[in-house]
Amino acid sequence: MSAKIPPFAGVAARVIVGAVLVYAGATKAAAPPEEFAIVIGSYDVLSRDMVLTVATFLPWVELLVGWSLILGLKLRVAAASAGALFAVFLFSLVSVKAKGIELPNCGCFGDGIHLTLTQGLLFDAVLAALCWVAWTTAPSAWSLDNWAEGGYTGPTNDKR
Amino acid sequence: MILFAMDRLPRLIVSAVIVLAACAGSFLLARGTRKPFSSEAPAHRVLGPADAKVTIVEFSDFECPACRVAEPPLRAILKLHDGKVRLVFKHFPLERMHRWARAGAIAAECAGKQGKFWDFHHELYEHQDQWASEKSEEHLASYAKKLKLDNAAWLACRKDPAVNEAVSADQKDGLNAWVGSTPTFFINGKRFAGAMQLSERGSRWVEKELKK
Repeated sequence: MSAKIPPFAGVAARVIVGAVLVYAGATKAAAPPEEFAIVIGSYDVLSRDMVLTVATFLPWVELLVGWSLILGLKLRVAAASAGALFAVFLFSLVSVKAKGIELPNCGCFGDGIHLTLTQGLLFDAVLAALCWVAWTTAPSAWSLDNWAEGGYTGPTNDKR
Repeated sequence: MILFAMDRLPRLIVSAVIVLAACAGSFLLARGTRKPFSSEAPAHRVLGPADAKVTIVEFSDFECPACRVAEPPLRAILKLHDGKVRLVFKHFPLERMHRWARAGAIAAECAGKQGKFWDFHHELYEHQDQWASEKSEEHLASYAKKLKLDNAAWLACRKDPAVNEAVSADQKDGLNAWVGSTPTFFINGKRFAGAMQLSERGSRWVEKELKK
């Protein structure tokens, strides 16, 4: 399957998904966690005790996964983690729609971009598909994995 | 060249450090450029100097009793830190609960066009139980008369769709900031909901921000 997807498409997919996660994570991490806790609480999918903890750590998970994708560190794990994140986001959005909860926006980007719930659903679905592209095309030449695993075949390789 | 000569484990460690540094860098960049909250509002709804170290953005509804209760602690903060704190008032009429709230907001906005926003604001909170009733129009007109507003201009302004849109724009601002109740205050971007949070934690936060 991976042979049908050109390598540059894999790089593009992981950079797009990574950039979105980095932007989403950074805007939320920069704000007080109580702000994001209000958003998570409105979704009504977590118990009250867990909301602030998740609001504190989730932006940092997004940042870590996002940069791992862009720079290509542990690419398959990063792509799978990003896919799992988007699956959770999709589940949360569908659950809000099903419960008929009215939200002003999806809250995906903190006080940055404001997407409606439907836009958020479509956006997350597209990004989940890109995660699959990034996962199937890993490992990638343009990645820290390639360097860390000794993929570099420069002059010093001969000496080792 | 030393990077190329490394073994697998040190390379992995260096890679992890690069990723962590990127995370920290993007966080610091976002924190540095973050606009905690849009503090834009017409001049008539702003108190205090533009270069104040602390900006309080208030989302309020003239028909909301809790907003009236929050007025004394808010005034106390402004008085205590006179000239160091800026207040920006934003309309957030909770129309599902408060039938007259939008009319009150529009009336105050039009008083503001004649330089009397804060006086009208004071009248609306002071006599909340009077104008938030079937006799709303009668009472609003009496406040306009008391404040010596140009009645014809005030009435024409209240029919102006642009004024209604300005109230809606504030409301949208509040919704985007996930304001769910009134009054909600953002003090340099930090949220405080209600009079108690404002007086207990908000005043301490103002002092902390002023010391920065």
